[in-house]
Amino acid sequence: MKKKVLSVLLVASMVASMTACGSSKNNEGTTANTDTKTEETAQTESTASADDAIANLIAATDGTVDITLWCSELEAYQNVMKDLTEKFKQQYSDVDFNINIGAVSEADAKDKILEDIDAAADVFVFADDQVNDLVNAGALQEVATTYTYDPTKTNSFATVEAASKDGKLYAYPLTASNGYFLYYDSSIFSDEDVASWEALTAKAEEAGKKVGCDIANGWYLYGFFAGAGCELTMNEDNSNNCDWNNATGLAVAKSIENITSSPAFVSVADADAIPMLQDGDLAAYVSGTWNTASFEEQYGDGYAACKLPTFDVDGTATQMGSYAGYKFVGVNSHAKNAGWSMLLAEYLTNEESQLAIGQATSEGPANTEAAKQIDSPALAALAAQSEFADQQVVGNQFWDPAKALGQNLVDGASDLQAVLDDAVSGITQPVAE
Amino acid sequence: MKKMLNAFKKYFADFGTAVAKGDIWCKLSLLVMGAGYWGRKQIVKGIIMTVLEVVVLLFTGLFSINYIKDLGTLGTVQYEAKFDPLTMKNTVNDYDNSLLILLYGIVGIIVIVAFILLYISNMKAVYRLQLMKENGEHINSFREDLKELINGKFYVTLLTLPSIGVILMNIVPILFMSCVAFTNYDIDHMPPNYLFTWTGLSNFKNMFTGGATITFSYAFIRILAWTMIWAVTATFTTFIGGILLAKLINHQNTYFKKVWRALFVVTIAIPQFVTLLLVSKMFSDHGIVNTWCSNLGLTSFLRDAGVISGNFIPFLSKPGWSHVMIILINIWVGVPYQMLTATGILMNIPTDQLESARIDGANKWQIFWKITMPYILFICGPSLIQSVIANINNFNVIYLLTSGTATANMAFANSNAKETDLLITWLFTLTNDNSNYKMASVIGIISFVICALLTLLSYSRMIKGDKEEVYQ
Repeated sequence: MKKKVLSVLLVASMVASMTACGSSKNNEGTTANTDTKTEETAQTESTASADDAIANLIAATDGTVDITLWCSELEAYQNVMKDLTEKFKQQYSDVDFNINIGAVSEADAKDKILEDIDAAADVFVFADDQVNDLVNAGALQEVATTYTYDPTKTNSFATVEAASKDGKLYAYPLTASNGYFLYYDSSIFSDEDVASWEALTAKAEEAGKKVGCDIANGWYLYGFFAGAGCELTMNEDNSNNCDWNNATGLAVAKSIENITSSPAFVSVADADAIPMLQDGDLAAYVSGTWNTASFEEQYGDGYAACKLPTFDVDGTATQMGSYAGYKFVGVNSHAKNAGWSMLLAEYLTNEESQLAIGQATSEGPANTEAAKQIDSPALAALAAQSEFADQQVVGNQFWDPAKALGQNLVDGASDLQAVLDDAVSGITQPVAE
Repeated sequence: MKKMLNAFKKYFADFGTAVAKGDIWCKLSLLVMGAGYWGRKQIVKGIIMTVLEVVVLLFTGLFSINYIKDLGTLGTVQYEAKFDPLTMKNTVNDYDNSLLILLYGIVGIIVIVAFILLYISNMKAVYRLQLMKENGEHINSFREDLKELINGKFYVTLLTLPSIGVILMNIVPILFMSCVAFTNYDIDHMPPNYLFTWTGLSNFKNMFTGGATITFSYAFIRILAWTMIWAVTATFTTFIGGILLAKLINHQNTYFKKVWRALFVVTIAIPQFVTLLLVSKMFSDHGIVNTWCSNLGLTSFLRDAGVISGNFIPFLSKPGWSHVMIILINIWVGVPYQMLTATGILMNIPTDQLESARIDGANKWQIFWKITMPYILFICGPSLIQSVIANINNFNVIYLLTSGTATANMAFANSNAKETDLLITWLFTLTNDNSNYKMASVIGIISFVICALLTLLSYSRMIKGDKEEVYQ
């Protein structure tokens, strides 16, 4: 099993590096162009003080600058980050750097950092759902000033918005493809089939295949309720507002139970979904770009992706919403070399680096120019879903009750109103003093 | 009790006598601890004592006092940083770090208490020297003192390092953790940027009585009950299983005894968590065992019988099912260990007792229950209690088997728990996923108290001196 996963990863990284080679040849001219362009704009836009500051910093730095960088443990990520940090060192060749790259996945970054902020990495990649907790804990250095480029102008508006809290930017947007959509095997499902959950499950039953979504997970479950217009927001004190137990919520819950009651539907997390996929059982699954390689390999020519299906609420087909997901590069507010850490974070998220990372990991860059140069079915599906996707702003009390709610819906709980009431009282429970 | 009180009184009375009746060197020792030794020509010892005194005073005066004085509030100045875009550096104010205040405060107090004890005993030692001098007794030189440390007082030499280790590795963390239970240290009060402070018993109140929707008390009672059930069942099933397996292998009609034994030992050689991860995959809702069951028709049979509702058997994902499965899997993982222990003990049962029982006409069953079992229980008693305690804290089995499953019980979910959690796995979820250190500390204290009580009770009852003679 392990070996299989490893080989998949290896294949993925090889494919990625090959495509990276291919496209970099095609784009050589354009990247070079944009490169000089950004440099020019940087020079014209940034006042002399930014260059002065960097010059000052170089002059004030003696001895080795130690920087720890945390990014995903995936081989593609580690390799591309290693290349980029080498280039960063070359750019500031007057300074002696010692950059350590640690393997902490962007999903776990918050937990690791909050264990001990002082001991955490200086620069780290993390997912957008952690912005709130990290800012609240004071772990993020505010991006008050930038030196080499302006992240608020080059990146898509949504990513900048998600990286900000109370109007202040706290992180450098890196990718805009951390959301979810539907992977499916087009040799089994037609375009009409994937348009709605009801058609999808019916076709899967007919074909003897499975379709899946991790319902027992607040992140995915949100898509159904949000799509039907239910509300989930966060208050100042990090507690939640939630109205999922109103009439619409009840209709949504009924609809979900209807979907999950299909023998073709499975509610599985990634860890179980990928083996099912490799066994040839899973013909459609809601997931994100992190699983692209597995689906691409398994479905072969039938590999396809699209926006999330609709579901039936009281007789109307309702488009499923979703959480838009982004990855950011953050600087530890307690970093020993705040200046250099910020410069490294800027370097890792500039257009050129985002393009390199996107090509290596098949993720979609946050930078609007870089995003145009990378195209794949998965990213197209994400783009199609994006108009129904919301930025994730939710307090911690949401996750466990929502997970239990999802589990109840999968189990086919009978007294839905009571379950929803309980879930909402859990989600909205006050944050302990 | 009275004895203790008297000893306590005598302890300070002796100190008083030493101060009152001591000569000039003794009195000087009140100020400079080494003086009393210098007066009796114990130069090196005097220097060591004085240096120790200076170090402690410097440590306290320059370092730990800063933290001790803030222990009452755990800090008042919050972290503030201002980024200077020109120098690209953060200017940070002189902030208080509640975590360090608590930690170094505790260490500082321990050092002070230890120093006071040392100070008192030093006074007495110096006075003893004075008496010895007056009586014309021989006073040890430093070399002779050292010699004594590896001869007559060797126990002192041996126990110094472990004692320091116990204080550093056990006492300080336990004190620290216990203190956290009385604070509001959680995700909204994370040092270094934010302060946490004392909140008295409110965390305990939340744990035992529960708030309006915070369901800690609900989850706590059920998790505690399951923890105890699990600990006792897991211990005894593997214990009995191990003995039976050992008996079976030792049976005269069993061929290839060594092969069987080796096969079971091989299962130990595979790291437990690899086995557990594999097993949890096998028994997951869409795992291989479920595929077999549905191919065999077992799943549809159970569904028709109304035992399950979905199209899979929820081996590890539904309460009840998972409780039983966890115990069964634990038997499988744990029996080989017990088998090894039991084999050793079975081989050492005094044969004269077995023989005389046989001559008296006891059958095999009687021999097993009246001689073998009591003997094994006597030998294994302490280790059984130990494994009950180990099972109370058996993180691996529970976490690795059920971490991927979700509870459908809202009351559990609202306090970040699920049905199969032990206190220890709940504690892990609270700290690791929710940074809720205060509640985790409360749980930690409770499970510490349970384990300590169990140990004390069992050891005082099982290893009482006279019992040992029963089998000799």
